[in-house]
Amino acid sequence: MKNFLTLWKKELAAYFLSPMAYVVMIFFLLVFGFSFWLLVHALVEGPAGASVMQELFGSLFFWIVLLVAAPVLTMRLFTEEKTTGTIETLMTAPVTEVGVVMAKYLGALSFYVILWIPTAAYGIILHAFSPLTAPVDLGPMMGGYLGALLVGAFYLSVGVLCSAVAVHQIMAAVACFAAIGVFFFTGFFAFLARSEAARDAFAYVSSVSHMLDFARGVVDTRPVALYVSLTALMLFAAVRAVEARRWK
Amino acid sequence: MIRVTHLTKRFAGCVAVDDVSFRIEPGEVVGFLGVNGAGKTTTLRILSCYLPATSGTAEVAGFDVFRDSLEVRRRIGYLPENAPLYPEMRVDEYLRFRARLKGVSPAACRRRVQEVKDRCGLKDAGRRIIGQLSRGYRQRVGLADCLVHDPELLILDEPTLGLDPAQVIQVRELIRALARRHTILLSTHILPEVEAVCRRVLIINRGRIVASDSPGQLRENLQSGARAVTEIAGPADEVRRGLEALPDVRSVRPDEEDGPWRRYLIEGAHGTDVRPAVFELAARNGWPLRELRQERNTLEEIFVSLTGTAPGEKRP
Repeated sequence: MKNFLTLWKKELAAYFLSPMAYVVMIFFLLVFGFSFWLLVHALVEGPAGASVMQELFGSLFFWIVLLVAAPVLTMRLFTEEKTTGTIETLMTAPVTEVGVVMAKYLGALSFYVILWIPTAAYGIILHAFSPLTAPVDLGPMMGGYLGALLVGAFYLSVGVLCSAVAVHQIMAAVACFAAIGVFFFTGFFAFLARSEAARDAFAYVSSVSHMLDFARGVVDTRPVALYVSLTALMLFAAVRAVEARRWK
Repeated sequence: MIRVTHLTKRFAGCVAVDDVSFRIEPGEVVGFLGVNGAGKTTTLRILSCYLPATSGTAEVAGFDVFRDSLEVRRRIGYLPENAPLYPEMRVDEYLRFRARLKGVSPAACRRRVQEVKDRCGLKDAGRRIIGQLSRGYRQRVGLADCLVHDPELLILDEPTLGLDPAQVIQVRELIRALARRHTILLSTHILPEVEAVCRRVLIINRGRIVASDSPGQLRENLQSGARAVTEIAGPADEVRRGLEALPDVRSVRPDEEDGPWRRYLIEGAHGTDVRPAVFELAARNGWPLRELRQERNTLEEIFVSLTGTAPGEKRP
C-alpha cells in the first residue's frame, strides 16, 4: 500500500514532466471554452432551462475531446516502460502487478479529473453574471460531472489495457481509439435498428443518450453499473496482460 | 545466498537455460561469463523474479523466486542490462522514488539516497535530469538504485557495457568496494573484468554451466603443459637442436625473427619449468639471450577451450 502511493504519485507527476500533458490541457480547455461560449450564446437567445448542461456534457465537442484525450493520456503508460526497459526495474521491485496497474490507472484518472477542475469556473461565472436567479441547476451539473467521470474512467481503463498489450505507443493509442470509437458508435445503432428489441438493446449501451440523461440530472443506476463493471473488466484484463510475461 | 537446482527455461523454439545448477555463498563475488546469447541474462532475470523458470527451482536467501517473489525482490538489487531509467526524472527524484518503492521508510529515505550517491560518485548530480546524463553517469544512477535499499544480494547484468575505459575502471573499483558488504553476481562477456573483480567464475555456454572455479584454479586445470618463450641470437638450427635436447622439453617451435634475434616457443612437460635449463644452454654456448619467460594460459584460451567460441562472438 505504501509503495502503491509512491507509484501513483510518480505516475501523476510524470504527466507534468512531459509536454503532452500541457498540450492535452490546452486542447481540452480550448474546446470546452468554445462549448461554454455556445452555452452562453444559447442562454442569451432565451431560457433553455435544464438542457443548458447538455450543451457542455452532451455536445459533439465533449465526445471529440474524450475520444482523443483517453488514448493520448494512456498510450505511454506501459509501452514506454517496455521500450526503455524500465518495466524490468519496475517489476523486479517489490510491487505487485495489481498495484502497478492500479497506480498507473489512478494516475491517469487523477490527471483526467484535474483537467475538469477549471470548468467549475463556468458555473461560477454564470451565477455571478447572469440576470437569472438560477441559470444552472445544481442537479444537472453534478449529473454531468458524474457522467463525465464514469465515461472517462471507462475510456481510460480501455487505454490502460491497450498500453499493457501493445508494444509501441502509437499502436496503443490507435487500438484504444478504435475500441472506444466502436463502443461510442454502437450506441447510434439504437437509432438505426429496425426491430424494437435491437433498438432497446443498443439504447442500453448508448453513451450519447447516457450523457444526455446525466446532464439533465437523471442518474440512472443502469449506466452507472455498466461503466463501473466495464472499467473493472478492462483493469482485470490489464493486470492479466502485465502478468503475461510470466506465462511465456 | 543463491541456490539454483536443475533450472531450465524454454522460449518458443529454443532452450535458453538448460538444467543449470549452482550455489553462491554469502559474501562471494561471482562472475557469470558467457558469449552473447549463452543464457546469462535469462538466468539473471529468473533470479531477479522478472521471468519464471520452465522447470527447476531457484532460491535467493532461502526464498523461492516464484512462490516468495516479493520477499526475494526485497532482498536483491538488480541492475538490468543498459541500466534502464526514467529519462524525464531528476537523479534525486528517481532515487527517492525507487527507495520508497523498495520499502525504505520516509525518514530514512533522504539519508539513504545521500549515502548511495556518495558511494556511486553522484554527489553533485542530484539535480540533473537523467535523460541528459552521459552513459557512465546513467550506469552509476542504476547502481545507486540497486544499492538504495541496502540489499543482501546484487545482481548486475553487464555493468560495464558501453562505458569508456576510464569509466570501466571506476565501475570495477566501485564493485570491488561493494564486495565487502554485499554478495554480488555479475554477468559479463569481458574476460579481464572477471579476473579484475571476481573470486569465482561460472562459465555458461548454450544454456549449460561448463565450469565453476576461481580464475586461478581454472587456469591451473587447463594448463596442458608449461610453455616458455625465449629470444636468443644464435645459429637457428643449432639453437633449436640444443633446446630440443634439454630434459622435459616436448617440442620447440621457432617463431618470428628480428635481426639476429629469433623467438622460440618451447612446450615443456606438465608441471615443469624449463627456464633454468634454457638459460644454462644459452650461457654455455655464449648465445646472447634477451627474453625468457613462462607463458600462462589466459582466461581467453580457457574460455575458448571450454566453449569452443571466442568471447564476444555470437553463437551460431
